[in-house]
Amino acid sequence: MSSNNVEEKVNHASNSKGISLPMTRVKLIMKSSPDVSSINQEALLLTTKATELFVQHLALSSFNNGSGKDQTLLYSDLANTVEEKETFQFLTDILPKKILVRDYLKLLEENPIEEADN
Amino acid sequence: MEGDGSTTDASQLGMPGEYMAGSHYVLQSQDDDCDESLHDHEEGNGSKENFREQDIYLPIANVARIMKNAVPQTGKIAKDAKECVQECVSEFISFITSEPLKLYLQKFREAMKGEKGIGGISVTEGLGEELTDDSFANQLPAGIITADGQQQNVMVYTTSYQQIPGVQQIQFS
Repeated sequence: MSSNNVEEKVNHASNSKGISLPMTRVKLIMKSSPDVSSINQEALLLTTKATELFVQHLALSSFNNGSGKDQTLLYSDLANTVEEKETFQFLTDILPKKILVRDYLKLLEENPIEEADN
Repeated sequence: MEGDGSTTDASQLGMPGEYMAGSHYVLQSQDDDCDESLHDHEEGNGSKENFREQDIYLPIANVARIMKNAVPQTGKIAKDAKECVQECVSEFISFITSEPLKLYLQKFREAMKGEKGIGGISVTEGLGEELTDDSFANQLPAGIITADGQQQNVMVYTTSYQQIPGVQQIQFS
């Protein structure tokens, strides 16, 4: 089978400057999904590379979208980008916007939360 | 105050300078095989948590380095931004692992039901990466799927040789 050849290519890619994320860790996270038993080497490589590109895309989008103060990427930039861009919608649950307690209390006073059963 | 250490009740957070996140990110512990696969990783210490932080996230140094290379040279990155991207990354990996699988299973089930006669062939389009070549090395059963009285010749892909209801086997010489 060509699996040996594939493995060689995969190892070469991870040793050279192509990939900077640990593939074993990526594999572990992939396996944490239900119904996943084994993972193809090529798929693992592809996923790792895609993850890298994702980080770049998220970082750059948030940076450009950001407040521009001191050229610093802040958590709030990330939260805003995730809310605005459709491609990042799947992250809305883990990237909530942060709010100061006093602002939240003020918000509660203005709009009291009703105990309605929806 | 309640016994558990953390509280999201705003009225109990006295300090006005505190940040409060809208929702807390909760790790789901799975009680199935995933436990074993994690524990026969290097350390076998009986850790109570099913997922340790270093296991479910990619190393923050790597993540931070990629971020730094992505933004312009003079840019800086806040520490909590790095940590949160680390979490997003794990979420991303889980997302792209599970989504193709769901799509595949959905198409597979539709094909099995015979609702889409030719769907048996389109199953390959939605294949998750989890299936290696070995699963198709076995002889592919062919059959006639009858749905609503219509008979269609179709190749049915199965991962193991099995009788599929509604499909009559055709012998290929």
